[in-house]
Amino acid sequence: MSEPDVVSSEPATKRRGRRLKGGPLQTRRTEFEDTLARTASARGAEAGASLPRASLWGDAFHRFMKNKASVVAAVAFLALLAFVIIVPFVSSEDPYALDFSQAYLSPSWDHPFGTDQFGRDLFIRTALGGRVSFAIGFAATFTIMVVGIVYGATAGFLGGHVDNALMRFLDALYGLPYLPFAIMTLAVFGTVNFWTMVVALTIASWFTTARVMRGQIITLKQNDYVRAAYAAGAKGPRVLYRHLLMNTLGVIIVFVFLELPGVILGEAFLSFLGLGINPPKASWGTLAQDGYTAYQAHPYIIVIPSLCIAWLILSAFFIADGLRDALDPRTKEA
Amino acid sequence: MALLEVEDLRTYFKTREGEVHAVDGVSFEVEEGSVLGIVGESGCGKSVTSLSIMGLVQSPGRVVSGSIRFDGRELTTMSDKNLEDVRGKQIAMIFQDPMTSLNPTLTIGTQITETIRRHMDLSKSAAEKRAIGLLEEVHIPDAARRLRDYPHRFSGGMRQRVMIAMALSCNPQLLIADEPTTALDVTVQAGVLELLDDLRRDHGMTMIIISHNMGVIAETAEQVLVMYAGQVVEQATVIDLFDRPEHPYTEALLGSLPKIDEPNPRNGRLSTIPGRPPDLLVPPEACRFAPRCRYAGMDDCNKVQPELREIRTGHWVRSNHPASERAAEPVGAR
Amino acid sequence: MLAFIIRRIVWTIPVILLVILMTFLMMRLIKGNPFQVTDRPVPPSIQRNLDRKFHLDKPWWEQYLYYVRDVGRFDLGPSLVQRNQDVNDVIKEHFPTSIKLGLMAMGFAIVIGVPLGVFAALRHNTVLDYTAMGLANLGFAVPSFLVATLLIYFFALRLKDYTGLPTNGWNGPSSWVLPVIALGIYPMTYFARLVRGTVLETLQQDYIRTAKAKGLRWRFVVGKHVLRNSLIPVVTAAGPVLGGLITGSFIVETIFGIPGIGRYYVTAVTGRDYSVVMGITVLLSVIIIVANLVVDILYGYLDPRIRDERA
Repeated sequence: MSEPDVVSSEPATKRRGRRLKGGPLQTRRTEFEDTLARTASARGAEAGASLPRASLWGDAFHRFMKNKASVVAAVAFLALLAFVIIVPFVSSEDPYALDFSQAYLSPSWDHPFGTDQFGRDLFIRTALGGRVSFAIGFAATFTIMVVGIVYGATAGFLGGHVDNALMRFLDALYGLPYLPFAIMTLAVFGTVNFWTMVVALTIASWFTTARVMRGQIITLKQNDYVRAAYAAGAKGPRVLYRHLLMNTLGVIIVFVFLELPGVILGEAFLSFLGLGINPPKASWGTLAQDGYTAYQAHPYIIVIPSLCIAWLILSAFFIADGLRDALDPRTKEA
Repeated sequence: MALLEVEDLRTYFKTREGEVHAVDGVSFEVEEGSVLGIVGESGCGKSVTSLSIMGLVQSPGRVVSGSIRFDGRELTTMSDKNLEDVRGKQIAMIFQDPMTSLNPTLTIGTQITETIRRHMDLSKSAAEKRAIGLLEEVHIPDAARRLRDYPHRFSGGMRQRVMIAMALSCNPQLLIADEPTTALDVTVQAGVLELLDDLRRDHGMTMIIISHNMGVIAETAEQVLVMYAGQVVEQATVIDLFDRPEHPYTEALLGSLPKIDEPNPRNGRLSTIPGRPPDLLVPPEACRFAPRCRYAGMDDCNKVQPELREIRTGHWVRSNHPASERAAEPVGAR
Repeated sequence: MLAFIIRRIVWTIPVILLVILMTFLMMRLIKGNPFQVTDRPVPPSIQRNLDRKFHLDKPWWEQYLYYVRDVGRFDLGPSLVQRNQDVNDVIKEHFPTSIKLGLMAMGFAIVIGVPLGVFAALRHNTVLDYTAMGLANLGFAVPSFLVATLLIYFFALRLKDYTGLPTNGWNGPSSWVLPVIALGIYPMTYFARLVRGTVLETLQQDYIRTAKAKGLRWRFVVGKHVLRNSLIPVVTAAGPVLGGLITGSFIVETIFGIPGIGRYYVTAVTGRDYSVVMGITVLLSVIIIVANLVVDILYGYLDPRIRDERA
């Protein structure tokens, strides 16, 4: 469930894309923008020093840092990551010990997130659950990326009939409803563990990535420097790797941050429906499901893991936004 | 009283780095029935000037000070509502790129009649009839049927004619044409210019034509304003300007035009003006053209900004070294 | 244009066949042949029925073809768990509820989301814009099960005496309110953000400047030029939104105890009622495919440039 995307089953060339896909929407530079651009370079010249060799990544990094929202989001994201990594090392609580005398304690200094129905400390369980959620999230995102990139790059690079066939097939796949197929996949495997969950989440999520990659490759393929590379004697795979893929790295990174929340949310949904990771291992989704049964008296049990998910989704989204702006060399509205 | 009187117009744009002085103290008058040409390179402020007249400068830009009097009424202090009455009805404007300046999802008939019905009390069918008449006037064949067509069905030159028809629909007193031929093929340009000229005479319109193309200005304008770095640097009748240019910039502009008949003193190379226009973020106190001027000396050129003065009747220049005064300077005097 | 429509419709057939195939194959992968090996012993009468219905003695691809033929006849087979029911019966019983819920949620999303987006865009970079988008982002990020739970918590428990909105079941308008909101919030935020984006982009276009230069009243410009062009992408967004609605309905129906097809699906999977699972999956897929088809055709109708391209 990713970011608003104008998607229909029309071939990508006819689609009005957002900036990532294919060619950007053309905006004519106004006289004002000309002036601004010249202002910037004139100042550089006045400073006397020759313009430093700017690298794409260095530039992007600086632009990203200037964007306040993105920096805040990045910090939030890293904070969450730190939480799930560090707490289990630091805490003295046993996440699996059952102690009914301690059941359902409200958040306190001893138990910052309270305890669940078995008396287990939720602070550490949330952190551990976060590890599982993040792990599943990253693994599934990685798989989605791999599948999507391979599929899309192949289609885009080879072009012609292969491209046509692959894209038609992809169009057909768009008709698969995401959740039912994820559920069915889990049923096929019979059990829900880390790997089956990753597969289930990947199955119906890689389509957009494939399509975007294809669009990128096709656009880049038409660039003159690719032709120059061929003219210099480079062979197919080398061109593909060095020129095309390297240049799409930026897009890929942005997509990672767009897919990650969707995948984690998907896992949460599946868990909530009772198809989550088997206990006693927990993820945020299963924790939320646990909490659901007792929400009336003890709302914090469901609220806390849900808020963790929301925190992740928001921060990932703004990071993706910031990355997209940072990697887009065109100046946006002032 | 001239139809349009602009006095000390200043339009600045707020950017993160400061204020860009896009238009910095521009004054001129346009007599009724005449044609004023404004010429200058990209970024000199000519478009922003025309947008300022129309009140169409968008944030982050705004008219900071100055007066714009049209037909005796002050436009800078007019309410939005009243300005909307002036626009389209008394002052009309056509823009550079006719493809993007027309709404792709509305028929051109709609786009013409909406203007007509906005300013004139006509029924739908009467407005349509008028629209057909206008299309015929701009030489669009099969006008009645073309009314129902969408902009993408027209060629570039025809689209510009449609824009002209739209602009003329309510018999404006003043027409501002901002680079009307720049986006068109050379072969089509002449036709459009001729059309503008005919229509102007037929309707008794006053016109301001903006271009960076000296040829266009030479052909259409009666009075010419040369702009540089947000200021007027020379103003004269078109004949006087081309015959006896005063400002070094104007000379350079005219000198950089390739000439078929005269032998080029620089071994057949096109002459250019070295350097770049100044930073409008912090405009220099001195003459803005000085860094690129071959006549700039140790004197006031780099310290004090020259005033616009009348060097001959009807010929104004802002320079310490206008052409007619240069001949009087003894060689070697510094 | 007609040729395009026909071609597009014809093209959905292989897509549907493919979807059925994938569903079918997945079903077969579940512990061998699911129609024979279930947790519960299958009485001989049912078994005979199944054998006949699913042609279990034939090779799998023949079974698949039979299934396709049956689907074409709208015959989705008997339920494996509810002995007296056909899958069609199950669908007839539960699906209309889900449709109602879904349509209302979509309506909610559009009626609230679109104006919110337009409003935010027109008041770009003001406090109102930031507030509206802040809320939208919040609604986007918070998982729907939390939204639903919170709604129930506040409205049913805390404010029970004031509002009396039921939180379970599906009887009468008052019971629709909370589930529709819970289901509709996510698509609402989607629309709000999408519309804000498209409106902002449209406002930058040259033809808006032209419209202003013609002296048209600003309200008129917004209504006629801006909205028209900005709302077209909203139509095309209906596809992914629909997918999201289906997913969300599973959760919302479970939480609010609504007897819809989403809730039944989960029960069917855990209860190993595979024919129901297959039937519902195929049904949902067909809906998505048809919705995409309609959106595609509609899109062409709305944008004159595409209309011409297709002619």
